[in-house]
Amino acid sequence: MNFAFSDDQLALASTVRDVLRDHCPPSAVRTGRDRRPAWAELAGIGLFGLLVPEEYGGLGLGLADAVLALEETGRAALPGPVAETVAAAPALLAGEDDLLTALAAGRTAVSVRIGDQVYVPDADLADLLVLTDGGRPYAVPAAGALLTLQAGVDPVRRLYAVAFEPRAGRPVGGDPLAALRRVTVAVAAQLVGAARHLLATSVGHAGTRRQFGAPVGSFQAVKHQLADVAIAIEFAAPLVYRAALSVDADLPTAARDVSAAKAAAGEAAERAARTALQVHGAIGYTAELDLRLWLARVWSLSAAYGGTAVHRSHLREALLASPAPRRWP
Amino acid sequence: MDLDFTAAEQEFRAEVREWLAGNVPRERLPSMDTRAGFEAHREWERQLAHARLSAVSWPREYGGRAASLIEWLVFEEEYWAAGAPGRVTQNGILLLAPTLFSYGSAAQRDRFLPGMARADHIWAQAWSEPEAGSDLAALTARAEPAGGGWRLHGHKTWSSRASHADWGFGLFRTGPPGERHRGLTYFLFPLAEVEVRPITQLNGAPGFAELRFDGVFVPGDQVLGEPGQGWRIAMATASSERGLTLRSPGRFLATADRLLRLARANDADPVLADEVARAWLDAEAYRLHTYATARRIAAGQEIGSAASMGKVFWSELDVRMHHLALRLLGERGPLSAAAPDAEDDGRWLDGFLFSLAGPIYAGTNEIQRTIIAERVLGLPR
Ligand SMILES: Cc1cc2nc3c(=O)[nH]c(=O)nc-3n(C[C@H](O)[C@H](O)[C@H](O)COP(=O)(O)OP(=O)(O)OC[C@H]3O[C@@H](n4cnc5c(N)ncnc54)[C@H](O)[C@@H]3O)c2cc1C
Repeated sequence: MNFAFSDDQLALASTVRDVLRDHCPPSAVRTGRDRRPAWAELAGIGLFGLLVPEEYGGLGLGLADAVLALEETGRAALPGPVAETVAAAPALLAGEDDLLTALAAGRTAVSVRIGDQVYVPDADLADLLVLTDGGRPYAVPAAGALLTLQAGVDPVRRLYAVAFEPRAGRPVGGDPLAALRRVTVAVAAQLVGAARHLLATSVGHAGTRRQFGAPVGSFQAVKHQLADVAIAIEFAAPLVYRAALSVDADLPTAARDVSAAKAAAGEAAERAARTALQVHGAIGYTAELDLRLWLARVWSLSAAYGGTAVHRSHLREALLASPAPRRWP
Repeated sequence: MDLDFTAAEQEFRAEVREWLAGNVPRERLPSMDTRAGFEAHREWERQLAHARLSAVSWPREYGGRAASLIEWLVFEEEYWAAGAPGRVTQNGILLLAPTLFSYGSAAQRDRFLPGMARADHIWAQAWSEPEAGSDLAALTARAEPAGGGWRLHGHKTWSSRASHADWGFGLFRTGPPGERHRGLTYFLFPLAEVEVRPITQLNGAPGFAELRFDGVFVPGDQVLGEPGQGWRIAMATASSERGLTLRSPGRFLATADRLLRLARANDADPVLADEVARAWLDAEAYRLHTYATARRIAAGQEIGSAASMGKVFWSELDVRMHHLALRLLGERGPLSAAAPDAEDDGRWLDGFLFSLAGPIYAGTNEIQRTIIAERVLGLPR
């Protein structure tokens, strides 16, 4: 057994991280949303084709190969429907040669409405929408749908109510359940990434902000809160990585593992957000500080594709209903 | 990245499982904190040793099987899932032995390890003193040079299992007083010559003891490492105690599985059921995290202060799980093994009381959180 990322998986994540550092700094998150910062560069390194089969020009990899790279997109608060394009679209568009080819080439940003999701995130930044209607997925060119902004706390990840004429859509043969599981894990990974950013930013602030003649990070009440955030992240991340493996192998425990990942990542990130704000004090309560972009992203992502309560209740059912779960063979 | 056990790992699991199924005592052994229970646990350890299962990760020459870290984790999973007795040898096999492998001389390893694996010598740890708990570096027990060896003086306390154990290891000051981390030396000593006063714990049994040293002679070859190096070596022992050696996931997985069975049998209401599901998954998270850590150790990386995150996580999870069990049991929760109506031979109550010590020993969780903040996150002291 080897529950550790391979060199290739680590290298991909570090490339994505470098690209995002250069092309998606906080200023780009704040003001560059509509230009989809870093998307062209990420397309250049093949991020959007990772999960697309090789025959369409993709890399034919699994979610486990992409999960750390997705975590990086959360760390950078990258604008645009990245989880949807990377993780959901390849499953939804399975069998649609032309759409998959365009997807793998990085020419199509995709957003989705699947499962119990009501709103389409970043619909205005997508080229193609895949919307389920009566359980069937339709591919709809974004230009052919009616978008109504549902303004919210996150100025970057915007939610839209979408209406479309089924005639304007093309029925696609993919698997909405597989797509839902993948995008849920992708969002869980982004939450872990966002939590890591919030922790690092808070540690940085606590090390430099001085009160009573000392950095506030030297006070134990502050230290212990940040230690608890570190612990929450440390023990949420492995659940996310395992969920990626379970989904790739389509294990019987996949549904449970996805819920465990989303619930744990959501809680860790919400704790990171809450603590980050507290540790920053009033400056954190402003729209001027970039911190708010990550706070809002956490609130927005933790509600996406089933919030913590929904996944917790799935887990309760999965574990307390018969037959009893098994951990290993 | 995968979570697939190799054929060899699976074979090892099957062998351990089969042996345990045929050998774990049907009846729960009496508490190891009583004299009779201590000896019953020693006998069990001998049985384990006979099957070369008491210290699977050690080299073969000392009674082990040279098992990999993953195999050792597999052993632990099976051991606790089988409901096997607690390890009365744990301070020796899990804490002192790794330190002996790193810092002991060949002669010390040859002398102490085989007897430890066979439970001929059961070890107790003697760090704490009445005035040196969290602030261990404030310890004042001292050792004075005396013809080819040392004489130990002073007062240790809270030494687990010392009431009945055979040997002790502990830190004594060989440098000037008040030097804190400097001038400390790590000693190995037989308890027969030490004045031992058993101390009764919350569960009514003498699980730890006070030790008084009144010039006990210890020959020079019972110093572990060099005189004056004691602090650094003791910290290696402490990191085994916090990290995955003392408290591998197996025991928490077994508790979580029992808790889930209890919740199912008692038709837990949704609020408790939710907490049970969460605890079960937290045990799972600890297992996965440990597999990743094992991999890093196998690749030669240092875990260092990150072990403190695991310590806080497992100790608080353990309290949560046992407390939940008592809540599920309602009025029967506080019943002990002696009560006719006790659930599962009183294991839940015993486990609850034991779990409450987890956030205190091996460095309190407050101390761990400070370590995490300063040494993992880099916050200012
Ligand atoms: C069941 C059990 C078994 C044990 N077995 C052994 C053993 O085998 N060998 C051995 O040597 N010892 C053993 N111990 C002792 C254990 O190591 C100590 O209890 C521990 O180090 C804490 O020391 P203390 O009890 O003196 O508490 P104190 O140090 O007096 O602490 C009291 C409280 O103050 C807090 N506190 C102290 N300093 C700080 C600080 N700087 N910042 C924040 N909070 C602080 C602590 O976290 C704690 O909550 C055992 C303890 C228990 C409960």
